[in-house]
Amino acid sequence: MALEFTTVIGLEIHIQLNTKTKIFCNCSTDYIGATPNSHVCPVCTGQPGALPVLNKKVVEFGVRGGMALHCKINKLTRFDRKNYFYADLPKAYQITEYYVPIAEHGYLTITGDDGQPHRIGITRLHLEEDAGKLVHGAADGRIVGSVQSFVDYNRGGVPLAEVVSEPDIKSPREAKEYVSAMRQLVRYLGISDGDMEKGSMRVDANISQKVSDGRWGNRVEVKNMNSLKALERALEYETLRQRDLLTRGETIVQETRNWDDADGITTPSRSKEESNDYRYFPEPDLPPLLLDDEYIEHIRATMPELPDAKRERFQKEYGLSQEDILVLTETPETAAYYESVVKAGGNPVRSSNWVRTDVMRVLREQGKEIAEAPVAPEVLAKLIQLVDDKKISTTAAKDVFEKLVPGELTLEQAIQECGVQIGAVAGDKLNEIIKKIAADNGDVVEIIKSGQDKKDKKMKFLMGLVMKESRGQAKPDEVLKALNEFLSKN
Amino acid sequence: MELSSLTAVEIVQGIQSRVFTCKDVVKACLKTIYEKESSLHAMLFVADEGALKRADEIDAAAQAGQDLGPLMGVPVIVKDNICTKDMPTTCASRILENWTPPYDATVVKSLLNAGAVILGKANCDEFAMGGSTENSAFGPTMNPWDVSRVPGGSSGGSAAAVAAGYAPISLGSDTGGSIRQPASFCGIYGMKPTYGQVSRYGLVAFASSLDQIGPFARTAEDMKLALSVICGFDCHDSTSEKRPAPQFTFNDAPLAGKKIGILSRLVAGKLSADLQSCMDVQIEKCRQNGAEIVEVALPKALEYGLACYYILAPAEASSNLARYDGVRYGMAYKDAHSLLELYVKTRAAGFGPEVKRRILTGTYVLSSGFYDAYYLTAQKVRKVIKQEFASAFEQVDAILLPTSPTPAFKIGAMSSPLEMYMADVFTIPINLAGLPGISYNAGFNDEGLPLGMQLIGPRWSDAEILDMAAYLGKETEGRIAEGGIR
Repeated sequence: MALEFTTVIGLEIHIQLNTKTKIFCNCSTDYIGATPNSHVCPVCTGQPGALPVLNKKVVEFGVRGGMALHCKINKLTRFDRKNYFYADLPKAYQITEYYVPIAEHGYLTITGDDGQPHRIGITRLHLEEDAGKLVHGAADGRIVGSVQSFVDYNRGGVPLAEVVSEPDIKSPREAKEYVSAMRQLVRYLGISDGDMEKGSMRVDANISQKVSDGRWGNRVEVKNMNSLKALERALEYETLRQRDLLTRGETIVQETRNWDDADGITTPSRSKEESNDYRYFPEPDLPPLLLDDEYIEHIRATMPELPDAKRERFQKEYGLSQEDILVLTETPETAAYYESVVKAGGNPVRSSNWVRTDVMRVLREQGKEIAEAPVAPEVLAKLIQLVDDKKISTTAAKDVFEKLVPGELTLEQAIQECGVQIGAVAGDKLNEIIKKIAADNGDVVEIIKSGQDKKDKKMKFLMGLVMKESRGQAKPDEVLKALNEFLSKN
Repeated sequence: MELSSLTAVEIVQGIQSRVFTCKDVVKACLKTIYEKESSLHAMLFVADEGALKRADEIDAAAQAGQDLGPLMGVPVIVKDNICTKDMPTTCASRILENWTPPYDATVVKSLLNAGAVILGKANCDEFAMGGSTENSAFGPTMNPWDVSRVPGGSSGGSAAAVAAGYAPISLGSDTGGSIRQPASFCGIYGMKPTYGQVSRYGLVAFASSLDQIGPFARTAEDMKLALSVICGFDCHDSTSEKRPAPQFTFNDAPLAGKKIGILSRLVAGKLSADLQSCMDVQIEKCRQNGAEIVEVALPKALEYGLACYYILAPAEASSNLARYDGVRYGMAYKDAHSLLELYVKTRAAGFGPEVKRRILTGTYVLSSGFYDAYYLTAQKVRKVIKQEFASAFEQVDAILLPTSPTPAFKIGAMSSPLEMYMADVFTIPINLAGLPGISYNAGFNDEGLPLGMQLIGPRWSDAEILDMAAYLGKETEGRIAEGGIR
């Protein structure tokens, strides 16, 4: 009988928190592109005698993250030292919350492979400091073949929230979904930019296979996945590799493997499988952290609306389709823009169409964020209203929108510039157009005249052509009237 | 008038009233240092040039009638495990030989802001690990009362320097008695303030939960001056307490109506004869001055304190000293071919035997499988000891006991590390409980060696115990040690 497999995945995500200063000192966290070792001080380079002072903002971000993940917030928490030697770790210990994390026992809901909501358990969220970065002297920047290495401590001490999931994830797709949801969450919370490419969100995966014959494959840790795509591909590869081995009756080596994005494979990590004893013990330089109820309530009261709640509300309030809602709530900024349009009088469904298609297309073209949207929500709302009030046609509105994009014209100016006032084409001008269209479509005219246009399909077709020719400046009822007159006369 | 034997109070007065200049004082102190240093080896760095330059600045200010603060023009010596950005800070270790920190410790800033002149850095046991200053990688310090004896430790250099008249005030650090014991061996005051009273920022960590900076001085008035400058909250040290700095005042009869706890039964048989009789005299003196003497019981503190300490302190030390890896500062093995080789060779060559012993002990007690049995148990014991002291202080205002079971011992006399550890039995529990303790001189034995007594108070009673110690120590305070210096 053919073997069946179940994939079991648990993820550890290191999320860089976007506080202005590091977790234990006042150095700036804005290190990307900075001269090496320019954002450092005695504390974050582990100078003898220097002491850590906890950045309160990091605690707040940790609590926010924990709440958003439905975790229990531990009111009494403390930091511990994780001891190990490495050149990027200046004190030779990392300050982290090992024994009592700030938040634990939560969940994050994703859409499972069956299309149903699927809760992924969150084991814990704890706060800790990032390490520095090693730069190796070999030509390709790798450690192999390099005769010297350099350390840049700019990243050392940047705050991290490590979120550990339960092994509840059943496929590479779900893993991707989970990370994507996590990224959306931290962006909604404003606690991280969640950028995997920049390394502000780093994902390590633990993956194993359960076999239908009762065997359990050993767990493999996969690292070095720098994008959602890479994560999915790495886990797909690893799934196949493990299933293949198990099918052939071999055992899975419990190890750490690195994802090679170029070759599309995982390879055993060069670093020896660490049997590190981290000798954790409470950090004596930091007193235990006691969060009082008032503090926790204050944070709860100032939590932003989170993706799930927003999506639910969008459906209730605006009656949008699921697809619309997903796009509009992708980022809190997009949702806010959309809601501003609606609030300024835009019809919810048509506003959604405009934002999803036109606004987003322009942003894509210009490489801009929604915060820099070229057309203010109030202006877009007015434009939508003009269409609804039949002051201008949809086609004309699109032209007006394009005129507005450079950001130089007011709505009135743009309309004028397009010359697209509805009703501007009427009377003789309209008749001219009808005459031309009728001449170009003699066969259609014949069908209508012969009474074969049962459902006014051909008539509507002609009307469309006339509207188009008038560049939307004719009033539809006038077009219909004039067209009927023309057909009866000729 | 010998300027180098003046007290800090006299120096400030003399400079401000322009009887002499700061430069005169600094020169006199430097002269004393040069005369005695070959016999004592109390210093690891003498900032002669810098100190003279600083003296000029102070004199200019004095000329202009400026008041630079309570320590204006006072020479101060700082233990070599306290960071100074103008001077090397070696912790008496090869691994930090020639290292100059990029910043000043908070206490150093406080001293400078108060107008002090930092004369140099004092010898100590390597990374403050020891009780005799024999563990300095750069050679031991000798006791100025008898150069064949140790000055105590680990702040032996700081104690010897003040006792010998190098400066009226010095700073040390006390993790298990490292200020009080050398103060007692050198016949001066030495205080470990309440944990959290003085900022540890810039004190090279040995055991973070136990370390505390404190002053040495020959007179109680000078202690008061030094403490008033270094005590207080520091936002750079999360374990420093956000509370108003203590007000140090001296009363005419600080012992009257006070309850003084003694441990006569517990210390019986543990003391040398001279200290036993010294203690008896001091107890009687307290009684005569209106104190009620109460026998207190601290059985666990005295029985388990040492064991508890020698688990917790090395545990923290093993982690605190892991940063000396040759990557960023200090000694580095130059020909390493791998990171591991860099670590191993640097640390093997850089640390002395006592430091290695404690790193190994600490690493062992923290390792998985042993953590619960050692570290966690020791933490529980520490709690019990704290509780025991708290109960004791419900009955008494202060506890009086010898600082050390013996006066200064001969260099090389301690044959084993364990024997050396045992000498800290009266000082260690105080660190475990985070209490303030002060050692004062209570006389001399037949050989002319100082005998030190210790007063311990509840947390934040720093001013009260200094007041009592000042009263009890008045008779013999202020002497400059001349014994045995050739």
